[in-house]
Amino acid sequence: MNNTSPSIIALVGHPNVGKSVLFHRLTGAYVNVSNYPGTTVEVTRASARFDSALTLLDTPGVLALPSRSDDERATMRALLNESTRCLVQVGDAKNLRRTLTLTALLAELGVPMALALNMHDEAAARGVTVDIPALADELGIPVLATVATGGEGIGELTHSLSQARAPEVLLRYDDETEADIARVAAAIDNCAPHPRLAARGLAILYLGGDDEVANWLTKHSGEGFARLDALRTDALQRSDADLPALLARERTQAADALAASVIQRAVRSTPLLSQRVGQAVVHPVWGIPILLGVLFAVYEFVGVFGATTLVGLLEEDLFEGLLNPAFTHFVSVAVDIPWAQEMLVGQYGLWTMGMTYALALILPIVTTFFIAFGVLEDSGYLPRLTVIANRLFATIGLNGRAVLPMVLGLGCVTMATLTTRILHSPRERLITTFLLALAIPCSAQLGVVLGMLGGVSFTAVLIWALAMVGILLLAGFLAAKLIPGRRIPLVTELPPMRLPILGNVLKKTGGRLKWYLIEVIPLFLLGTFIMFALDRLGALPAIIEAGEPLVTGWLGLPKEASAAFVMGFLRRDFGATGLFAMAHDLSPIQAVVGMITITLFIPCFASLMMMVKEQGTKTALIMLGLIVPFAFFIGGLFNLILRAIW
Amino acid sequence: MSPKHEARLPLAFIPPGSEVCLAAFGEEIDPLQREQLTAYGLAESRPLKVLQQRPMTVILAEEVELALEHGVARHIWVARKDNENGS
Repeated sequence: MNNTSPSIIALVGHPNVGKSVLFHRLTGAYVNVSNYPGTTVEVTRASARFDSALTLLDTPGVLALPSRSDDERATMRALLNESTRCLVQVGDAKNLRRTLTLTALLAELGVPMALALNMHDEAAARGVTVDIPALADELGIPVLATVATGGEGIGELTHSLSQARAPEVLLRYDDETEADIARVAAAIDNCAPHPRLAARGLAILYLGGDDEVANWLTKHSGEGFARLDALRTDALQRSDADLPALLARERTQAADALAASVIQRAVRSTPLLSQRVGQAVVHPVWGIPILLGVLFAVYEFVGVFGATTLVGLLEEDLFEGLLNPAFTHFVSVAVDIPWAQEMLVGQYGLWTMGMTYALALILPIVTTFFIAFGVLEDSGYLPRLTVIANRLFATIGLNGRAVLPMVLGLGCVTMATLTTRILHSPRERLITTFLLALAIPCSAQLGVVLGMLGGVSFTAVLIWALAMVGILLLAGFLAAKLIPGRRIPLVTELPPMRLPILGNVLKKTGGRLKWYLIEVIPLFLLGTFIMFALDRLGALPAIIEAGEPLVTGWLGLPKEASAAFVMGFLRRDFGATGLFAMAHDLSPIQAVVGMITITLFIPCFASLMMMVKEQGTKTALIMLGLIVPFAFFIGGLFNLILRAIW
Repeated sequence: MSPKHEARLPLAFIPPGSEVCLAAFGEEIDPLQREQLTAYGLAESRPLKVLQQRPMTVILAEEVELALEHGVARHIWVARKDNENGS
């Protein structure tokens, strides 16, 4: 635990209320911000712009406390372990009841607070008016109306932090529950007093079944924990109803009462345009054509504009036409050693292969994908996609929520593997991680696939896409049968549809590109160097020779394609790019088989490491052991089928 | 069964466009999901508007749009709002 003097201001609140945008406004630091719940899965920290001695924490959104999900547990850990000077609860102004339900619990922690009622503009558009002075008076803390995306109310918020104080408690639970809370709070005060959080708040969380609080108490109360445990067991046995539900219900009622006294709602005769659009995209009839339209637009932007037009300009005109000849000439003059020349600008040269692949082939594709993804994120379309996809995902033991990491995986599988934390059960996370590793190509690979197969024919793209969807469903179906546990039905919030803000999309794209390139360029250079070393040592021809029965015999590819699979061990997209580079030597069937095999091939090294982090080494290695032979098996199967029918 | 109880219907059966009040959560909804629903603002006597029923039940609870699988919506009991009782 950090025991230095409190210098931390923590932003807490429900998912998708604008905490990360506010964090950016207050610190200048960029956190991935999206119009769907669950974007922030880890605590992020940065120095405050208005006082460099202060550190701001952006915490994952909490649907409710006590914590149940991974992101709620991360927030609870931050509350328990950080030297928090004050909390800024960020709430949705148009949904005051829900905001105050969380306030009712945070108030019990006894930490100074301020409340930022964000998205005030959206509330006003819906005819919702909050009497802010009255609310501030009732809570006894500063309450500010903010519009974080537009920067409104930010100055007032920072000025108000000096007046932050512990809020008035919003409710007294029923007498019996209050007695239980008092007994547990007294025991906490006795055996594990928290340096900042009030024992009463911890007692309510502990009685509500918060595992993080229980862990903290276990760690800090020593032998006293037995007494705490006995008190909780007694309380649970005594309560007629489910105690956690009872506590939550009483908080909700208190929040209802307070909200009703400070809110005014104008009668609106017609729904807003954003609501109509939001309903149309999940409409049973219009939803599917809209989805197809969205997919087509993404394909045109990423697959055609990014992977064909921009790659053509960068690779053929800039790199092959200008930079590579100039750099080759420079190296031939400046470097005397022949092997060093070859290492830099030869067939497996660090510049001519590594940097050219990374910057001329991958960068334009990844950039266009991240822009398209950013627009979809900010528009609010992605949560609605979970509704459309829910039935399909039910066939593989998941619910539509799993579509979010899957779609994010089309950008970067490593990021997406981390995002599986938004799923509610370990079983859902395991199945989704496996499917991400198996059949979801990242944007770089997707762009290469679309660029290569798009150049062959639309049929080739269609065969590849159908193969991937079919394998995804089949593997998911089998995984759902084999992995014990039950499917959790989908309940999800649909945030308002919004016009994406260009600046936000560009910032987000910039942040992701930076993350991506930092990961990609060193690995591409390392991969190129390994290829160069294998070639110089004479091992590459031997590997190509050894792989011939599999690559040429079973997959029906030229034997040189073995080199691409060697490259694919480092990154799938690096391997795919290797196949792309030899596209002119491949027949349409070979192109499709090569792309199917490399798409199913092992995920990149970084995402493998993320799998180890999220699922453990054993599980990650089992997945790897399943995926590699499966990729070659399916590739060969398609080779046989396509040769028979195409 | 009381007359009040007879007036309760599963949320999944309510036609789009109807306004109802939440009456109770069925026992079939597990405690965690019940907590989740409460956290979304669904509580007894709260007014709801049903926006659509396919492919999922979509409701408007105050200004929050929620999508619920039919497996959940079937076990949420609602009552017609007072002004619709006569219909």
